[in-house]
Amino acid sequence: MSEPSPTTETTESESTDTNDPTSTRTAATASMSGTSTTTGESEEELREEWTDYQFAGETHVAAENLDVHYGDDHALKDISIDIPSESVTALIGPSGCGKSTFLRCINRMNDRIRAAEVDGSVEVDGVEIYQDGVDLVELRKRVGMVFQQPNPFPKSIRDNVSYGPRKHGDIRTGLIDRLLGRGESDAELELVERALKRAALYDEVSDRLGDNALGLSGGQQQRLCIARALATDPDVLLMDEPASALDPIATSKIEDLITDLSEEYTVVIVTHNMQQAARISDQTAVFLTGGHLVEYDDTDKIFENPESQRVEDYISGRFG
Amino acid sequence: MSTITSRNSLVNGGTNRYEFVAGATIALSALLFALGMTALFEFVTLTDPIAGVPTVSVLGGLLVLIGIGVIGLGVSSSLELIETTPDRSAGLVAGVVFGGLWFGIGGIVAAGILGLGGAGWILPALLLGGGAFAVTTFTREDIGSTVPAGVLAILAGGVFLTGVLGPGWSYSPGSFPSDNAVTFFPSVIVPGSVLFCSLLVGWASAKAYAGFGARGRHLGAHVLIYLNALGIIAVLFGLVGFVVIKGAPTAFTEVAIGPGVGPEVSVLGLSFSLPVSWPFLMNGASVFVRVDGILPAVVGTVWLVVGAVLFAVPIAVGAAVFLAEYADEGRFTSVVEVATNGLWSTPSIVFGLFGASFLIPRFGGSKSLIAGMLTLGFMLLPLVLITSREAMLAVPDEYRDASAALGVSKWQTIRSVVLPAALPGVVTGIILGVGRIAGETAPILVTMAGGTLPAGGETVDVIGGFEFIATPPFVTNEALLQASSALPYQLYALITAGLGGPQFEDAPFTALEFAWANAFVLLTVVLSFYAIGITTRYYFRRKLNR
Ligand SMILES: Nc1ncnc2c1ncn2[C@@H]1O[C@H](COP(=O)(O)OP(=O)(O)OP(=O)(O)O)[C@@H](O)[C@H]1O
Ligand SMILES: [Mg+2]
Repeated sequence: MSEPSPTTETTESESTDTNDPTSTRTAATASMSGTSTTTGESEEELREEWTDYQFAGETHVAAENLDVHYGDDHALKDISIDIPSESVTALIGPSGCGKSTFLRCINRMNDRIRAAEVDGSVEVDGVEIYQDGVDLVELRKRVGMVFQQPNPFPKSIRDNVSYGPRKHGDIRTGLIDRLLGRGESDAELELVERALKRAALYDEVSDRLGDNALGLSGGQQQRLCIARALATDPDVLLMDEPASALDPIATSKIEDLITDLSEEYTVVIVTHNMQQAARISDQTAVFLTGGHLVEYDDTDKIFENPESQRVEDYISGRFG
Repeated sequence: MSTITSRNSLVNGGTNRYEFVAGATIALSALLFALGMTALFEFVTLTDPIAGVPTVSVLGGLLVLIGIGVIGLGVSSSLELIETTPDRSAGLVAGVVFGGLWFGIGGIVAAGILGLGGAGWILPALLLGGGAFAVTTFTREDIGSTVPAGVLAILAGGVFLTGVLGPGWSYSPGSFPSDNAVTFFPSVIVPGSVLFCSLLVGWASAKAYAGFGARGRHLGAHVLIYLNALGIIAVLFGLVGFVVIKGAPTAFTEVAIGPGVGPEVSVLGLSFSLPVSWPFLMNGASVFVRVDGILPAVVGTVWLVVGAVLFAVPIAVGAAVFLAEYADEGRFTSVVEVATNGLWSTPSIVFGLFGASFLIPRFGGSKSLIAGMLTLGFMLLPLVLITSREAMLAVPDEYRDASAALGVSKWQTIRSVVLPAALPGVVTGIILGVGRIAGETAPILVTMAGGTLPAGGETVDVIGGFEFIATPPFVTNEALLQASSALPYQLYALITAGLGGPQFEDAPFTALEFAWANAFVLLTVVLSFYAIGITTRYYFRRKLNR
């Protein structure tokens, strides 16, 4: 990371000042849990083999000894995880355990948070993304992201979907191109249609592609955001609680969609909904308070017969 | 408890007449308020008769009427002839207001009418003020809020009716130095007290209408707020209407529409006559034209604003992008914020001095259009900067995150997401800024203005002034280096030259009429800039929302 400027330092020290009570509290909770469990149990809390998941396919995303700090706050601790390609991986765990943080490590969105500091390695397609000279544009084209709150641009539906490809120069609709006869509005329309169909939204909006996206319902907006992410043709799709703001019908539409997508894409999804994780994912990673990855295995195994007592407690709703 | 009594009042037989009187008193108060407004702006003259009766007497009679009405309401409520829910007291605020009012009246009457010299006025003033305070505060609410207001209205009305305040009457408070004493004439005092009394009585009778208590206070406050808003709107429309009435007839002198009546113009080598002839707007001022006009000033103002906007807006928006998107929030940005706020409140003549001492020597050493444009542009900069930055900071971070997650670079994100979302805010800043600079006189006076009343031939021709040459800088524009007039400056020049002057001997109007027409055109030009700005903003907003 670049050298922080003096102003950065002031803001950072300010933010740690204001965060002080919270961080002390976190520290207190941590030490409490350390004292409340016996030495034997805390040995048992984390075991290499619980997260050592073996699978047949190839690895698409691999994190190795990943640590993330927000100032003094150690949000992710020594995460190592291999995510198989063309499958759905669910990340579950109590609030504040670092699921979103981990997700943001995969497309380096943590770079945008000034306080965040990432150590360790993440490989996408076998290439280390935390090295100098990584092309963030290319990385984020390959690793798309859908946020917890639907966040379409205040533009037309069509412009929302074609935004990424257009800015990357994949379709040319600029004035000069149009004047030179190279305009690709047909190609644009085709791409928009394809992405919207993939996101199971096309039928609902096909007759009003020119309307503003803010006029859509929440569920439609979220599927539009998925379409927008798909339009740049990513390999990996990161989803941070994509259904948390949606009603059951919209949720089930999105779940079906995710299952479909997993045939072509590697989907990593954060969810607070155990049933949802059990329904749609192939493998599940459980993060627990403190920023540890505690267990990672086939979804069936995690939900039926977890190794860790704490994971079992969490899944059966006894804590978290 | 109040619900029970108000249920009682629904079935009470006497209520209908009471409510009718209360409603009529409110309506009369509103009517009086409107009459007072019109009298204040001299749309009606006090001595003119309304239906055969002098206006003063009509006003006085109405005041007495509403005074009696409101006292009647209060008394019948306090005699429990009808069911009301008055509080124990009208409250301290009302007490202080009425006490202060009556204190002043006592003083004025004692000193001005009874002629009690020295400190002799203090005793009656104290007596009246204290009495009003006591009545308001220590009696029940129905008496306390109606009687002081009603008596005031009756007193004022009686004074008007008896003719004590005849047209020749005037009042000079003795405490001012004798020479330039402040003198009040009936034309101000009468409408002023009518407005005031009608407000008070309207408030009191609205309270009575709702049966006093909480509901009464609610309705009373409503009537006060509505009458006040009415007054403000009336003042605004009155001002605009005043300028229009005074200026429009002159501005439209000898307008003619028909093929070929207008002056000859040539566009792209084709020359033809305009189908409209509007001498006031199409002529300059000179002995060769019969109807003198203000074409040079109109053109000067338009170019001035266009030039200032073209100069300031790109710079300001660019700086705002840097401050909102790139600079870290911290000491630097807060210093910039304080500096821009300070610049915006800097008096315009200071900008004028800057233009005169810094810009003029760099643009040919004499007053010029471009010096004026740049000076006004510098004035416009801070406001556009402030509002644009605010607008960009208000763009949700989710848009930026979404764009970044698609792999779009920061600059492209700013260009295609942040700026479009911030445009309505930017345009608002431009509208406000243009409203200020278009009417500025002082900076123009020292940086740009030419002759007092330029002839038509002195109209700046910015577009035609461009000349292309073979050597760098390849394009020159003589027109930008000329002095020019502008509407506010010309108005200023007219006023200083003396409005009674014989400047337009052959014209069908006087100098004063010319000045009003000039003001009318200035107002129209500024309002047109507003209209353009508001339409643009509406367009961008619509694009964002639908
Ligand atoms: N931008 C940030 N600045 C500082 N600290 C942060 C920031 N984002 C997250 N954190 C901290 O990192 C820790 C993990 O946060 P994260 O958002 O990854 O949790 P999460 O598992 O996604 O929680 P949730 O399920 O509630 O979304 C928390 O303690 C949080 O306070
Ligand atoms: Mg989260």
